[in-house]
Amino acid sequence: MRLVTGQGFWSPLVWLALAAGVALLAWAFWFRGRRTYKAGTDQDMPFLSGEQVPEGAHVGGQHLYWGFVEGLRPFVDRVQAFHTGFLGDYMTWLVVLLAVALLVVMLT
Amino acid sequence: MTIGIHVPILAIAVPLLGAFALPIFAKVHRNLRDLWAILVAAFTCAMVVALAVQVFTSGIQLYTLGAASPTATVVQGGFPIRIVLVVDGMSAFMGLITALVGLASLMYAFQFLKEEQGKTLAMTLFFLLWAGMLGMESTGDMFNFFVFLEVTSIAACALVGYRTWESRPPEAAFKTMAMYTVGGLLVLLAVGILYGEYGALNIAYLSSQISGTPLDKVALGLLLGGLLMKAGTVPAHMWAPDAYGEAPAQAAIVLVANTQASLYGLFRVLFTLYGGALSTPAVGWLVTALGTLTLLVAALMAVIQTDLGGLIAYGAVSQIGYMLLGGGVGLTVISSRPDFGLVAMKGGIFHMMNDAATVGLLFLAAGVVKRACGTKDLRALGGLGHDLKWTSGFFFLGALALAGIPPLNGFASKFLIYESSFRLSPILTAIAVLGSILLLAVFVRAFQGAFLGPRLRTVQPAPLGMLIAMGVLAAIILAFGLVPDFFVRHMVTPAAEALWRGRDLYLAAVLGD
Repeated sequence: MRLVTGQGFWSPLVWLALAAGVALLAWAFWFRGRRTYKAGTDQDMPFLSGEQVPEGAHVGGQHLYWGFVEGLRPFVDRVQAFHTGFLGDYMTWLVVLLAVALLVVMLT
Repeated sequence: MTIGIHVPILAIAVPLLGAFALPIFAKVHRNLRDLWAILVAAFTCAMVVALAVQVFTSGIQLYTLGAASPTATVVQGGFPIRIVLVVDGMSAFMGLITALVGLASLMYAFQFLKEEQGKTLAMTLFFLLWAGMLGMESTGDMFNFFVFLEVTSIAACALVGYRTWESRPPEAAFKTMAMYTVGGLLVLLAVGILYGEYGALNIAYLSSQISGTPLDKVALGLLLGGLLMKAGTVPAHMWAPDAYGEAPAQAAIVLVANTQASLYGLFRVLFTLYGGALSTPAVGWLVTALGTLTLLVAALMAVIQTDLGGLIAYGAVSQIGYMLLGGGVGLTVISSRPDFGLVAMKGGIFHMMNDAATVGLLFLAAGVVKRACGTKDLRALGGLGHDLKWTSGFFFLGALALAGIPPLNGFASKFLIYESSFRLSPILTAIAVLGSILLLAVFVRAFQGAFLGPRLRTVQPAPLGMLIAMGVLAAIILAFGLVPDFFVRHMVTPAAEALWRGRDLYLAAVLGD
């Protein structure tokens, strides 16, 4: 039941056993916690920096990892710049790929 | 003579016949059309599985068209003049992927497609595409390969753009068709050069003759350009997100398999056709570099997508990068470091199956979202998990598998790629891991945006047939993730070895000892 790579191995069953151990530990911590939660009360409301949250408000996925995405912004902007959507540009990049492939093949 | 000897040609001919006969049955009655589609799909899958069993137990299977005996590959004088189907471990493995994806697509399509929105046309094009892919994966003839490549191109573009009542699908289909046409012409030009040089089209015969002349190199460059583009490699990948994102869900999943068929063609050219002539690692490094670039650029582009279809499409392109990385590392070290080169090949090939299941599952789940809400814009979605419980679960499973989270199948194949690429250059592994981290963030955002949060609207759950189709792919993800060694040993290793050291066996099977 092990996937051997030559350098090491991967065993999903060992991983599952370890994951079960970690889950058991997490449950043990949770079980020893305070039991003041009451379903159907204000405790069910989302907390957004103490602001009143309108009913049906949804924090969309685009708000998650905001800092992570902003940190990547300089790289993403550069990559996005050549995704113009114009077929002429698609063809240009195909020619570039073809030229690089021919160059590598012919020079070796 | 038993039917067993005709299995290689039946696996192609039956879906081809199915495609052309389906509109006729639809004219009679739609139930007859559906019955015909089920019969054709069941028979095709049975043929592909039977063929794979024959290959994995008995070795390479041959079928010569027009010969007195299907195994008479050469005429007197040892020259292969007829079209020969050559199914080795790699071809059989690709056939299994194509069959699996086709089956899931058809099961899903029965309830996903509406009669008034071209259901018969879509099913006809699907069978045509299916036949083309199976043909590409089993032919042993370069011109025949080009013909099947064109069959898949035409069917794929029509599947992307047949919904002419919407504006974006025809535009995506036009762009894809233009790219496919130029790519196909590059392949045709290469085939013409090789035919002019050696007077033959048979892959095994050409492989025995190719010695690395300048014309051979020009042909290789053209084949690389055409096939890398059709596989969706950066920087010629831009058609892929357009096509995947705008195609209906049941077509998008088959387009993924179609891309992999082109990747198979690339590997067949590099390892079998030019296997005896590539003496330097330069081409291997080229494929490795393009794979690394593809996985990173596509993952970065996925970060800023707000459309669920576009997001999954860029995720799919990034997975092509991992497959290229595995194949490229294998090709780079094929003669110098065989110890980890074969591991890299196994990783890249294993990732093909895993990609088909995970990306396919995500596209099908996105189709359920589009069907339920009329949009895939993440800014307008939310809380769908309240009503689409099974779909939410399937999407989450697919997202985790695509990001390579253990113990799912995506991790198993990426693990092989990470370990082997690390030994070539740790930088490659670092970029590959970064790509997976980016995809995890992207898909967690997508899951939160579409499925979590308060219920914004009440939607109808997916019909049972669509859930079963997604369930099949989810079962593959779990099975390949929990017992990867079984599938690697019995399916992936024969496929990798067929490319890695199987060229001599391939040539001997076709040309004789």
